[in-house]
Amino acid sequence: MSGTTPTTPRIALVLAGCMMLVLAGCRAPGKPGPAEPRPDRVMEFAKLYKQNCAACHGEEGKRGLAVSLSNPVYIAIAGKEAVLNATAKGGPGKLMPAFAKSYGGTLTDAQIEVLADGIVRHWGQPQLLAGKNPPSYAATLAGDAAAGNAAYTAYCTRCHAEEAIDKTHIAGPITDANYLALISDQGLRTAILSGRPEEGMPDWRGIAPRPLTDRQVTDIVAWLASLRKTPASPNTASSKEKSHE
Amino acid sequence: MKDLKQRGLRIFQWFEKRTGLLKPLEEMARHPTPSSAASWWYVFGSAAMVLLIMQVMTGILLALVYSPSASNAYASLQFINHNLRLGWFLRAMHGWGSDFMIAIVLIHMMQVFLFGAYKYPRELTWIAGVFLLLLTLGMAFTGQVLRFDQDAYWGLGIGASVTSRIPFIGAPMVHLLLGGPIIGGATLSRFFALHVFLIPALLLAFVGLHLLMVLRLGINEWPMPGRLVRKSDYDRNYVALTKSTGVPFVPDAAWKDAVFAAVILLAVMACAFFFGPFGPGGQPDPTIIQTVPRPDFFFLWLYAVLAFLPPEMETPALLIAPVAIVGGLLLLPLIAGEGEKHWSRRPVAVLMVTLIAVTLGTFTHLGLHTPWSPAMDSWSSDPVPASFVEHRTPLERRGALLLQQKQCRNCHSIGGVGGRRGPALDAVATEMTGDQIVRQILQGGGNMPAYGKALSPEETTAITQYLRTLRGPGLRPAADASQGLQPQNASHPVDSTKGASGAP
Ligand code: HEC
Ligand code: HEC
Ligand code: HEC
Repeated sequence: MSGTTPTTPRIALVLAGCMMLVLAGCRAPGKPGPAEPRPDRVMEFAKLYKQNCAACHGEEGKRGLAVSLSNPVYIAIAGKEAVLNATAKGGPGKLMPAFAKSYGGTLTDAQIEVLADGIVRHWGQPQLLAGKNPPSYAATLAGDAAAGNAAYTAYCTRCHAEEAIDKTHIAGPITDANYLALISDQGLRTAILSGRPEEGMPDWRGIAPRPLTDRQVTDIVAWLASLRKTPASPNTASSKEKSHE
Repeated sequence: MKDLKQRGLRIFQWFEKRTGLLKPLEEMARHPTPSSAASWWYVFGSAAMVLLIMQVMTGILLALVYSPSASNAYASLQFINHNLRLGWFLRAMHGWGSDFMIAIVLIHMMQVFLFGAYKYPRELTWIAGVFLLLLTLGMAFTGQVLRFDQDAYWGLGIGASVTSRIPFIGAPMVHLLLGGPIIGGATLSRFFALHVFLIPALLLAFVGLHLLMVLRLGINEWPMPGRLVRKSDYDRNYVALTKSTGVPFVPDAAWKDAVFAAVILLAVMACAFFFGPFGPGGQPDPTIIQTVPRPDFFFLWLYAVLAFLPPEMETPALLIAPVAIVGGLLLLPLIAGEGEKHWSRRPVAVLMVTLIAVTLGTFTHLGLHTPWSPAMDSWSSDPVPASFVEHRTPLERRGALLLQQKQCRNCHSIGGVGGRRGPALDAVATEMTGDQIVRQILQGGGNMPAYGKALSPEETTAITQYLRTLRGPGLRPAADASQGLQPQNASHPVDSTKGASGAP
């Protein structure tokens, strides 16, 4: 036993010395990295997007549940103003909350600007639709539901009927009143105009043999809107106060 | 060499002549201990003291730079972390030293208890030890507050709301501690004063008293089954024992203390080196709500207890339990001051230690692994993995969207992403029928809020339709075509939309 007495502390000393050398020399694993900024000081597009939008619009703006924000056709039609507006005040339907602090969200105006600007600059293609004369982003005409029904049956049912004809692009029915209660007219219009490229829905140019006209798009939306239980409310049905139980 | 020794001796005598302190110190160091007490089991007390000294030294260095004002504290910690050479290591040593110290004090206490060392004549030593434990915990808590990050800030807020429930003195006590009704600039200065002046002063005083008694009364002999402690003959027996088997404390027993203390110090350094300092986490600011406060390790059990206590039990439990526990610890040596010391003859004592250790361990484990705070930004940042949304109808996809928008994902993970407050929903469809799912959503229950008022019938339908497609990781829902028909087939009460679908 007594043999260990003098050597053990010496070993400890040597170990401690080595440690100090290592500390001074290389990068210690415990050394803290740069401090996290406050949430309202984050100004990087990728970080802001991941934190606030990725859940519904998909990582990198792709394959999300809602509008594909990385779809350049969507960006070209909607423009930065509409993107900024939706981000700040909430989407056209009630499914997307407002993000600006002034509308009850958590992001500052500067952060909203970073997001809108980032979406347009990262994912947009400036001259994509130059000369293609797409229908306007927002509807300007009054819709005709009967004409819309005809156009829908002609162009949409091949993918959207319960027994779809185009088996490669089975998309499921969108005439279900429950579904229509959860999407706004603008949401429908956006879907028709910009399509869902990742899932196989073409944009307004590829749905019919000829590109759909503004009138046709407006009519189809009008017809779909007429299938809602509460055609008066343009948005989601949560305004309807129905009590369960 | 010989010359050096002589000169050393002369200096020693010079001081001794004038102070008269060195001889007694030397005697103290060489005081005889029963050889059975020169054991590896007896090293924890001295290790705790070495850690205390290390904490004092690192603490002084930190105090040179730390700024105890609400507006600067956070920045000064960042400064220490990033701008001072090895500043981060100093913070890490102090933080890990604190955790190690609590652990060692607890182990020391358990050993003393199991060895019956608190019995006559060492009752007061134990009582001083109980105060040392409380003071050590006090240091850990105030230290965590000085970090003044979100964890500290929110922990403090919760602590204050707990304290305020004490009848009569609760509110004044909170006021006194926080320096006002709310956490503010004054709070930090108060905790700084507590952490660097008041508690350390008390701690050192009690350590002195504790040590004095250890030296005066001698180190507890190794307990023997059947050798009972009696006030009448204990002292005589102890003197006889030290006479017959006594060895000088230095070096025969002390080298073990020295080796163990060195190992512990190395362990603290290793933890500091590899795991780094604690925090500071996010900035303290009540307007930042994307935060999940989490207390430091040794207070986790407390948070777990609070989280699991039914609300109506909280106040009584919080008022009675601490008084009972501390009172019990203080009274222990006065009640059980005599009799058997050996653990093999004290089944109740062993059972109690086991019970307490298991309880604390379990609650700490729960504290570490139960995410009772939901993941605050899952709803907007964690997408449902692609394999769980492919081949779904538009309505089902709206249901998945609603799962995000209604923040269900903050509590429910799918495909391993999302909060864990509630069960994972990967395979709900195999565990629950559509009706059961609807009931759970509308009525909540079991720590889930009821959504009856917050969902329209269409929203409930969409969510349920989507959840009914979840049959396990990567599994596709049953044939797509039949999924499309389901809105009509479903028989649950909220499906009020027959006939509308499939209109074309
Ligand atoms: C809770 C899910 C959710 C989150 C989170 C979310 N969105 Fe949305 N967003 C939606 C939905 C759903 C729609 C479509 C509204 C509709 O269909 O009626 C939408 C629509 C939009 C639109 C408008 C599309 C159009 O029709 O012109 C923009 C732009 C947009 N989101 C951007 C963002 C950005 C930027 C973020 C992050 C700050 C974000 N969204 C976060 C769900 C979400
Ligand atoms: C080539 C096949 C095809 C055609 C033609 C087609 N769609 Fe789609 N549509 C899809 C696919 C695929 C999806 C994606 C479905 C999904 O992922 O849930 C889709 C999705 C949609 C959505 C849902 C968007 C959402 O986020 O919920 C709407 C609305 C829609 N289509 C409307 C229409 C309308 C209106 C027409 C006719 C003008 C039409 N589609 C024509 C394939 C098609
Ligand atoms: C605050 C956290 C929280 C939120 C938010 C939450 N849940 Fe829950 N959920 C729970 C807990 C906890 C349970 C377990 C209940 C139990 O043990 O009885 C649960 C259970 C469930 C179950 C039963 C799962 C099973 O396997 O037993 C379903 C389905 C469910 N939740 C759906 C939802 C939906 C849909 C939403 C959003 C509208 C939601 N939850 C929001 C916490 C939450």
